[in-house]
Amino acid sequence: MSYFAGIDVGSLSSDAAIIGQDGDLKGWSVTETGPHSTNAAEAALDAALDMAGLTRDDLAFVVATGYGRAAVPLAGKKITEISCHALGAYALFPDVGTVIDIGGQDSKVIRLGEGGKVADFVMNDKCAAGTGRFLEVMAAKLGVGLDDLGRLSLAAQGEVSISSVCTVFAESEVVSLVAKNHPIDQVIKGLHRSVVNRVAAMTGNIGITPRVIMSGGVAKNAGVVALMAERLGVDIAVPQEPQIVGALGAALMAVRAAL
Amino acid sequence: MSPSELISRGEYFSQWRGGGGQVCAVFPAQYPRELLWAHGVLPMEVWDPPLAPARAQGHLQPYICSVVRQGLELFLAGGLDDVGAILFPHTCDSLQNLASLVEDYLDPPAPSLFFYNPKAPFAAAAKGFYVAQLQTLERELTRVFGPQPPEGMARALEWSRRLSELYAQAYSRRAAGELGVGAAEFYRVLRGGEYMHPRDYIPLLEGWLASAPANGGGQGQGIILSGVLPSPPDLLETLDELGFRVVHDDLISMSRRLLYPPPGEGDPYEALAESFLSMPPCSTRGSSLSERLEWLKGLARAGGAQGVVFSVVKFCEPELFDLPELRRGLKEAGLPSLVLEVDVNQEVGGQAATRLEAFGEMLS
Ligand code: SF4
Repeated sequence: MSYFAGIDVGSLSSDAAIIGQDGDLKGWSVTETGPHSTNAAEAALDAALDMAGLTRDDLAFVVATGYGRAAVPLAGKKITEISCHALGAYALFPDVGTVIDIGGQDSKVIRLGEGGKVADFVMNDKCAAGTGRFLEVMAAKLGVGLDDLGRLSLAAQGEVSISSVCTVFAESEVVSLVAKNHPIDQVIKGLHRSVVNRVAAMTGNIGITPRVIMSGGVAKNAGVVALMAERLGVDIAVPQEPQIVGALGAALMAVRAAL
Repeated sequence: MSPSELISRGEYFSQWRGGGGQVCAVFPAQYPRELLWAHGVLPMEVWDPPLAPARAQGHLQPYICSVVRQGLELFLAGGLDDVGAILFPHTCDSLQNLASLVEDYLDPPAPSLFFYNPKAPFAAAAKGFYVAQLQTLERELTRVFGPQPPEGMARALEWSRRLSELYAQAYSRRAAGELGVGAAEFYRVLRGGEYMHPRDYIPLLEGWLASAPANGGGQGQGIILSGVLPSPPDLLETLDELGFRVVHDDLISMSRRLLYPPPGEGDPYEALAESFLSMPPCSTRGSSLSERLEWLKGLARAGGAQGVVFSVVKFCEPELFDLPELRRGLKEAGLPSLVLEVDVNQEVGGQAATRLEAFGEMLS
């Protein structure tokens, strides 16, 4: 039996997925990227192979994606994260129309056409606003764990509006809001709203086609997902492991490339 | 000619000045270069001087485009100290403001000249207005540089006609897939016309067209490159690396002002006015959206392009106002588009490269 791997080297996490020829997921991993993309890619791959009980010799083809894709020498092909996210999402939700992916360094909205092919897409510009990085910086400033943001936001009884979308300005705004004794959960909800507004504005360029799914690290934040659904007026589905959608798509691309 | 033989703006400027030649710095975009040639003056166009932004920041609001910013930087760095005059065509509000800033507050080292193009839709009076503008500029050039030599205008019009033929040849060969060079080389050579005198540039262009291979350019997706100018350079290199075939462009600095019917015989001013009025549609000339859209669709059809890449200079109002409607119209016509907002001379970077690559994957 041949196996195929996809490795998604992002700015914060490097993720891998191993599948069989039939597309069945055999193993996956989500690891920290750190300073060295090549090492991160290999560590992610080895972790996913471990889970699958396989070794590199079992792999017929590897595709790399993500911003660090060029630094993965063991990949036979490099494909952008836009195409890989689209295909990965299509494999998980065959009726998907739109993917909203909010990663550590960028966010993107992808409208899908037939067979998981990209029909249109939009990516944020060189700016941390509307990305996981924005929330990471704010969580650190507030002394709250990233994993707790969603829970706190959902429990908030009100919302403090954040006027700056810029990470640098929002950081000082948050400091002064906390100094004025605004409840932290309400500030967090306001920060989530800021991310949602920023990403939702991007959808205006390409439109939203249901079914909408969210992927990327920020999709694990239930507070952001709820506000996004409210803002766009649609239900949003989140895959069980939203961080490996790109890697899964890359693995599916590897099957295609090997055929 | 190989493109490596093309000498830089700085070198050419020094050689020209060293030979006693006169220079007029010209800001974007359309101006009657034939009048300057007729006076024996070299127009040195200022589009994207490669300078680190420093002093210009202190004079301009942050939302002014990098073409104006870099142009002012060149001025403040003394890069225009040796020219005989500075010409400001009325292209957009930002350039108009730059002209006022330079003229009113910055004590220019050379006289400022102004040129007002008529804006579309061209009324019956547009031709007369353009001719009157030519006459005014002619008087100003005579005042600054002295009178035209005999046959000056006739020779300038001949150069103009020959250049029109060569530009048309370069563009049509590329659209037909019969010019085997990438985008970086194509624009490096064609941009030579921004600073070289036609006497030197025409033989270079002829040599290049004669020696350029008939095939061997990008084999991938065909695109139209629209926007302001073919810059930053790494954008073109990225397009080449990704295998895109730029089949045509709709750039303000390139086809929108280079591809027009050459001036005919008869009264030279009337001939120049007629040429100007038949230039391809452009946001800076006030062309209608429908005209621009039909033009873009026509370019795509003729060259077999599958999509359009808009490389728009950040804060370029004329271009950005048209963009949403153009994109909508192109989409309805089955032509996807991608927008990159760029600063001239600032690398487009990895994220823009990813967008281009994904756009190529989407078109494939
Ligand atoms: S880039 Fe746009 S705004 Fe800037 S000078 Fe050119 S036309 Fe004017």
